[in-house]
Amino acid sequence: MDEKFDCIIVGAGVAGLAAAMTLARNNMKFLLIEKGEFPGSKNVSGGVLWGSDLAKLVPNYWEEDAGWDRFINHRRLTFMDDQSTFSVDFKSSHFNEPPYTGVVVLRSKFDRWLADKVQDEIDKSDYAMDSFIAPNILVEEVLLEDGKAVGIRAGEEEFYSDSVIIAEGVNNLLTRQVGLQDKYVPADHMLTGVKEVIRFDQKVLEDRFQLNGKSGMSNEFVGYATNGVEGGGFLYTNKDTISLGLVLGLKDLREKEQKPYDILNEFKKHPVIADTIKGGEVVEYSAHIVSSGDKRVMPKQLYKAGLVVCGEAANLLMNAGKAIQGMDYAMRSGIIAAEAIVDAKKADDFSESSMKKYQDTLSNSYVMKDINNFQDAVHLLHDPVMTQKMPNLICDFGRNFFSIKNEVTPKSREMLKGAIKRHASYWDLIKIGAKGAKAL
Amino acid sequence: MKLLSLPERLGLVSYRNQAKSEIKPHIVVDTDICNTTCPHKCTTYVCPANCYTMDEQGMVHFQVEDCIECGTCMYACDQGAVSWEFPDPEIGRGVTWNFG
Repeated sequence: MDEKFDCIIVGAGVAGLAAAMTLARNNMKFLLIEKGEFPGSKNVSGGVLWGSDLAKLVPNYWEEDAGWDRFINHRRLTFMDDQSTFSVDFKSSHFNEPPYTGVVVLRSKFDRWLADKVQDEIDKSDYAMDSFIAPNILVEEVLLEDGKAVGIRAGEEEFYSDSVIIAEGVNNLLTRQVGLQDKYVPADHMLTGVKEVIRFDQKVLEDRFQLNGKSGMSNEFVGYATNGVEGGGFLYTNKDTISLGLVLGLKDLREKEQKPYDILNEFKKHPVIADTIKGGEVVEYSAHIVSSGDKRVMPKQLYKAGLVVCGEAANLLMNAGKAIQGMDYAMRSGIIAAEAIVDAKKADDFSESSMKKYQDTLSNSYVMKDINNFQDAVHLLHDPVMTQKMPNLICDFGRNFFSIKNEVTPKSREMLKGAIKRHASYWDLIKIGAKGAKAL
Repeated sequence: MKLLSLPERLGLVSYRNQAKSEIKPHIVVDTDICNTTCPHKCTTYVCPANCYTMDEQGMVHFQVEDCIECGTCMYACDQGAVSWEFPDPEIGRGVTWNFG
């Protein structure tokens, strides 16, 4: 292949595949390179793909029983102490109609399915024989000439293109190589995710979680789940498995000298979780770094001449308390990146100022607007008062509130006072209240 | 349900190039740094696959075979001891997730 491509995309995850789909539909000649055996084979997520962008990429995806696992119509946020859970629970048939507002996915299956859809679009394009999805190739270097990206190197082989889309994921070695990210990224705003996929008889799973057809639930956990380490837990229902895991602040994990797999076992031993996962069989254990959504560590500039960075490579991920969003940001940023490349091709201008349009568009999209608007919420969620004291306080209150003792029942206000006294202080609450007010 | 030990968990992982006796390590650790100047030796507990172990003398050892490419050590090590790359598809180790 000595021919030049319009674009080379590095990484066939959600961002890279979204970009590829957009390029194929715009009749571009591109090469999508994936280091794994097949697209998705090295990808891990919680994970829920939030929002409805998937319907833009694969119209009527819900008519297929493939790729995605379940749609979400049931959300739960659980506060946890060592014995109890106190949940905010919302379920609504309002979410039953497609396009769904969230689908649970297992990446090894989902990304592979999405790649097949991209291949279908390639086949329909003018470059059916000249655009490729190439797995099993590790890109070691982005080739730069006078500061402009002109292609990539994989081993001894070089491939040339007018543009490069870096969609390599959070461990963004190429983003560092081209100088858009520091060579060493400290642990401070990174989290380690660990997860088990646990299989059930499908009927048991559906009964246990009150699922109907392809409906599913997502549950996030705060408090005891992480054994004193900053972070949280999650449980998502797949077709006949659940994804159960934790995200743990890496700096805190280091300071508290804890092992992620031990914390995961403690979480599974919790009486409420133990009841929830009874009878399941672990079929996979996985782990991956995730970014926190703290803007302070995100690469500031996501482009240079002939090059753009999207998805988790640009640390586009955020947990602002409502949901852990990353794959939807990856999808949207991949689409925007590809659109910028399409425009650049039309204008025959791959200069830095042309590539800057990608970041400008991204800044005006919900992705960066949300990340900018919810920075206070991100900080709040990483506050130890929020991750430790509050869940204990809430569960203590719950235990008293729901205890019927055939004694004179104290007023709820008194119970709350007691709970606050035992687990925090009014000062903590004032501080967290002020932060919370700012965050909302 | 039965809780799994880490070796049992890693036993569920599909590693690449398992038949090959010699693989090219994608992570190189300068354990001299771990064993002389590092104040915390944190990789021995934060690594989700326990690729970093400490012996009875408190010396850090590293093996790449169990690595699941999560990236944790690349961020956790603030001493410059960890050189992290992705595994070579042909002669490296690393994972192929069945679920992901």
